[in-house]
Amino acid sequence: MSSPPTDPALQASEISDVLAELAKACDDQVRRAEDGDEVGGLPARLVAAPGSTREAADVLRVAADHRLRVVARGHGTKLHWGATPSGVELIVDTTRLSGVVEHAAGDLVAVVGAGTALATLQEVVGGAGQELAFDDPLGSTVGGAIATSPSGPRRLLRGTLRDLLIGVTFVRSDGVVAKAGGKVVKNVAGYDFGKLLTGSYGTLGLITEAIFRLHPRPVRSHHVTRTISDAADIGPALRAVLASQTVPSAVDVDWPAEGPRQVSVLLEGTEDGVEQRADAVARLLDTDVGDGAAPPWWGHYPFGPDDVAIKLTCPLTEVGTTMRRAHARAAEHGLSLASRASAAGVVHAATPGDGPPEAVASLVHELRAGIAAYDGSVLVLAAPQPLREGLDLWGPVPGLALMRRLKHELDPVHRLSPGRFVGGI
Amino acid sequence: MATTAQRRPRDLDRLAARLRTVLGEGAVITDRNRLRTYECDGLAHYKVTPAIVVLPHTTAEVAAVVRACVDERVPYVARGSGTGLSGGALPSAEGVLVVTSQMRDILETDAPGERAVVQPGVINLHVSKAAAPEGYYYAPDPSSQQICSIGGNLAENSGGAHCLKYGFTTNHVTGVELVAPDGEIVRLGGKAPDPPGYDLLGAFVGSEGTLGIATEVTVRLLRAPEAVRTLLAAFPSTDEAGGAVSAIIAAGVLPAAVEMMDALAIEAAEAAVHCDYPQGAGAVLIVELDGPAPEVEAQFGEVQRHCRDNKAFEIRIAADDIERALFWKGRKSAFAAVGRISPDYIVQDGVIPRTALPAVLRRIAALSDGEQGQGTEGPSGVRVANVFHAGDGNLHPLVLFDESVPGEAEKAEAISGAILDLCIEYGGSITGEHGVGADKAKYMPRMFTDDDLDTMQMLRCAFDPLGLANPGKIFPTPRLCGEVPGRHKGVHPLAASGVAEVF
Amino acid sequence: MSTAHSSAHGDQPVMTGVVDGVATFDPSGAFDEHRPPDAALVGDCVHCGFCLPTCPTYVLWGEEMDSPRGRIYLMKGALEGEPMTDSMAGHFDACLGCMACVTACPSGVQYDKLIEATRGQVERNHRRPLRQRLLREAIFATFPHPRRLRLLRGPLRAYQASGLQRVVRRSGVLRRLPTVIATMESLAPPLGPSSSARPLPERVSARGTRRATVGLLTGCVQGAFFPGVNAATARVLAMEGCDVVIPRDQGCCGALSVHNGREAEAKKFARAVIETFESAGVERVVVNAAGCGSSMKEYGELFADEPEMAQRAAALAALVRDVSEVLVELGPVAQRHPLPVTVAYHDACHLAHAQGVRAQPRELLNAIPGLELREIAESEICCGSAGVYNLLAPHAAEPLGDRKAANVLATGADVLVTANPGCLMQVATAFRRRGAAGSAIAMAHTVEVLDASLRAVPAETFQKRSLLQK
Repeated sequence: MSSPPTDPALQASEISDVLAELAKACDDQVRRAEDGDEVGGLPARLVAAPGSTREAADVLRVAADHRLRVVARGHGTKLHWGATPSGVELIVDTTRLSGVVEHAAGDLVAVVGAGTALATLQEVVGGAGQELAFDDPLGSTVGGAIATSPSGPRRLLRGTLRDLLIGVTFVRSDGVVAKAGGKVVKNVAGYDFGKLLTGSYGTLGLITEAIFRLHPRPVRSHHVTRTISDAADIGPALRAVLASQTVPSAVDVDWPAEGPRQVSVLLEGTEDGVEQRADAVARLLDTDVGDGAAPPWWGHYPFGPDDVAIKLTCPLTEVGTTMRRAHARAAEHGLSLASRASAAGVVHAATPGDGPPEAVASLVHELRAGIAAYDGSVLVLAAPQPLREGLDLWGPVPGLALMRRLKHELDPVHRLSPGRFVGGI
Repeated sequence: MATTAQRRPRDLDRLAARLRTVLGEGAVITDRNRLRTYECDGLAHYKVTPAIVVLPHTTAEVAAVVRACVDERVPYVARGSGTGLSGGALPSAEGVLVVTSQMRDILETDAPGERAVVQPGVINLHVSKAAAPEGYYYAPDPSSQQICSIGGNLAENSGGAHCLKYGFTTNHVTGVELVAPDGEIVRLGGKAPDPPGYDLLGAFVGSEGTLGIATEVTVRLLRAPEAVRTLLAAFPSTDEAGGAVSAIIAAGVLPAAVEMMDALAIEAAEAAVHCDYPQGAGAVLIVELDGPAPEVEAQFGEVQRHCRDNKAFEIRIAADDIERALFWKGRKSAFAAVGRISPDYIVQDGVIPRTALPAVLRRIAALSDGEQGQGTEGPSGVRVANVFHAGDGNLHPLVLFDESVPGEAEKAEAISGAILDLCIEYGGSITGEHGVGADKAKYMPRMFTDDDLDTMQMLRCAFDPLGLANPGKIFPTPRLCGEVPGRHKGVHPLAASGVAEVF
Repeated sequence: MSTAHSSAHGDQPVMTGVVDGVATFDPSGAFDEHRPPDAALVGDCVHCGFCLPTCPTYVLWGEEMDSPRGRIYLMKGALEGEPMTDSMAGHFDACLGCMACVTACPSGVQYDKLIEATRGQVERNHRRPLRQRLLREAIFATFPHPRRLRLLRGPLRAYQASGLQRVVRRSGVLRRLPTVIATMESLAPPLGPSSSARPLPERVSARGTRRATVGLLTGCVQGAFFPGVNAATARVLAMEGCDVVIPRDQGCCGALSVHNGREAEAKKFARAVIETFESAGVERVVVNAAGCGSSMKEYGELFADEPEMAQRAAALAALVRDVSEVLVELGPVAQRHPLPVTVAYHDACHLAHAQGVRAQPRELLNAIPGLELREIAESEICCGSAGVYNLLAPHAAEPLGDRKAANVLATGADVLVTANPGCLMQVATAFRRRGAAGSAIAMAHTVEVLDASLRAVPAETFQKRSLLQK
């Protein structure tokens, strides 16, 4: 799908009418698409930037009336993730849906517009000594992060965004506004749509507002880092730390394409507590406590925008094995591979996007075959053209039939991010 | 197009016979006396005698039951240990009750992998017991953990005292095998995190049995904490106790649990389990810290200081596990213990932002002292005992009444509803952990718009277009699912043009 | 709660207007008007389910109607007019009466009273299948009669000694015998020489200063099959400064009859026991069988509808103590000698749940130098003995016995200690089913362990003797 399909819905003659309707819907914040207004290489026709949930609903209603296919965009940092959509007429720019609407510090809760930069949110809640316990590897907006659910080191202790999102407001493909959850952490009233939207690549609805639970920011943080010369030691090192009583916030492994492998353990807590726990971890890893600074690779993905970005998941006892297998297979294909793992059972890997497509495809295929034994998964998050053509990005997706039915209920004509998600959803 | 409203009259005898051939004679109950013992769950004032009760032993048997129900267009309801407090397992009178109590094997405990794989009928506490020898446990601990089942926990997204720090069932389930409402067996997730596609597992947990029946569950095990310190602090009133909670949280301490009981709840617990709480307390707090020993030590002193600063007149520190258990015994038996001080009572479950605690408690007191509850006139005089997970603002007011006094039940019901209105008014929720079930479906429109509810029901329609899985729960009015999957009214232009595929 | 919640939509009856408590008694139902279970007590159950995991039949079968909560529901149905069907009676009969649910219940439901009243109703208003009726008659013609039981000793012992037992067991001939005979055969403990069954003297004098005068109930099964326990009880009490009065012609206390709904028979036995001990001039009536003790403590309730007798019964009941209670009350005076054995203590249901006696036996055992006490997993679950339950319902009792035996063996203890003859027989039988694995562990009553310590019996001798007893 490298070339845009013919547009059955939006004739050139219609454009000015649609523009006018959109302008009315979102306070004139609409324009024709320019260079760079594209999704996975596919150029859009229009860009609208609603400034409120209500405007967003009006925009989607216009889109529905005119059968526009819609992709939401925040900072656009992961717009190249997922499959190329089957078409896109309208990009909804969410960045006007911004601002921390409410920070209830005493309740450790924040209500925030979907277009708000995560960094901004952290800054605001940081003022009260609090944080969203989420590592933002790419500088996303709130909505973008929810839609793609990236994750960083601290997922080990705090989970992913799904575990921190307690309420969500979104606009359905027909322009109807719906919300789920609320402003309290403990809440089991109704279905948890927040979880469905997390990692849904914009295919179920346009997220306009999110409510997060916050955590107190630790007084002290300390990294204990050591180099691992024998790759066979990765697994035992991770297991030793996890089985200890030190309760690390994160345990990550870096295996660069060249250079030394490292494992780094993040401890967070009180002054005294962290000191003693860091000592204990240093003893376990047979290294010294060090200065406590994060290693330079910490919290970054191993891939850049031009790489093939791969995400492997596995039981947490298999992290070492999964990394070793990935590097061995890559070497067999003559591919350079860099990987970073969380002890929680997630390995992110990168291989340059200009490698031989067949080799990359074989690598992905073999990694999937290897991981099937313990119900993990191998996703290709992003791949440059033309590599993407020959790749099955998702692999097997258990429950796909139910997912298709869900998509069909919420977006029966596949207006939202069509084709971008699993199984062509 | 098939909907619940259009079901044909059905032959339940024929269904029972079919179920007997699949499950065997002993696993299909149609005897009236036996059926009646299943007519309610832990919320005993809702009663419906099911037409058939089945006790399957395997996933295949559950799937066969569901398929039979689908063929006959008969509704079915799943039930674990029957301890739910929202009527979530209330049977359908013309339906099948699928009881998972025979599926109670712990299939695997994988301590290094921090997972256990269990059948849905496994009792919550048994998971922790199985993992204990290796130093691990299962974190969600509802007060009924000694009997409630993992399957039921999944359906209700159960919490517990320690969810303030550790989260709810949904944060501790990584995989499920389920029988979908069409009878298909589906696996979502497993030991590994982040399964591809929509987070259906996240939607399934807490869906109160409306999206299918869990037949195997993979849960997280946590390393048992190195240190646990528990204190019991007595305060003159709930205001001071609430102040202490706010101070502790504001100081950046995240306790494993912060529980509060007011004077009336203390009285009940004393009567039931002789927990020997401090005399004359208007409120007690149980605060538990756990984690690495140096962290717990560093923060425990701080917690005590905040209690004292907020006028705690007695602070007891559990010297050992036995004393800790005694602190908790009073709290965990509080609901049922109220039976000792009142012939009848309603257990309410609502949530408010933690900071609204003092204000809401005053409003509740005013309700029981005579402020008009909805539909009541004049002073209500209804006593309300309060038990809460104070750390996360989860209230459990216990509204006491005497059935045999005319009008009391209605008054209690009105107060109980008025408390939920307060929760909504303060931006909270109508249920923190007991679920909506049959009991609170009528309150859902107070918390959600029609559009919200309609959207939620789209999920239900995706899973259960026939509306057979636990009908009548969560939603006040069923949504007629437009289409059965696979059949469509017409081809959309986009699809016709080949642009959009319709799956 | 009774508010009539109506269904929000037509097809699903969400709620009936049924009242949570029980409506007025409906005599057209399963129960007659003679002492039906108290509707108010039935109404105390809030259906929380906390009793379920401690109920042996629920643990076995996982079915609501075979749980305390379910049985209370059946009682409620019966009070409201449901007829006494085979299924209803069967679920009441399946209750072991272990009372673990009473311990577990946070609402204080008096299930003990409820099931006892219900058993009487079943006995009167339900006709069991012929086989069951014959079995019950056979049991109640034997067990509550110490002399008849003693007479059984001779043939049983001869049978065991001849080696015939092994032949018979191996041959499988038992499978062709009626279940009851097979079960009784399998439960009978190996019997010592008849000398050990020699009757105790009518009075044993206190060693040293007399601190109390106590009566001793010798019991039926205890007296016939475990005479050593009675002898040890008398010795230990005497060594701790008690004059022990042991009336010669005491009969059955009535426990087995009470627990099986045979009210008239129970009263007859109880009346005799009350009369015997009323005139014995004792400050305490000491019981070493848990089931007997729990029934005797409730003599007052048994005679509830005979005010004068009720008063006498209550007065005597107030004197009744388990032997471990008396010994802890008195406090130790005799010297404890070391007994270096590892002991797993099994809570007899009628001691732990019915009488709330858990701490005292442990305290006594822990006070013995060198003795190591281990706890048994699932200690609250009944072993399946439950009076004559293992004779009446072997299909339930056997798996419970096996479960208990496995948990006991898992402790790795040398000796299993418990305070009830029924438990000893039941668990010993389960041990035998496990063959070699089960034969390594000795068994004793709490008071026998204490006796060995007070008399400085070497650990090996004690263990060897306890092994024989199995």
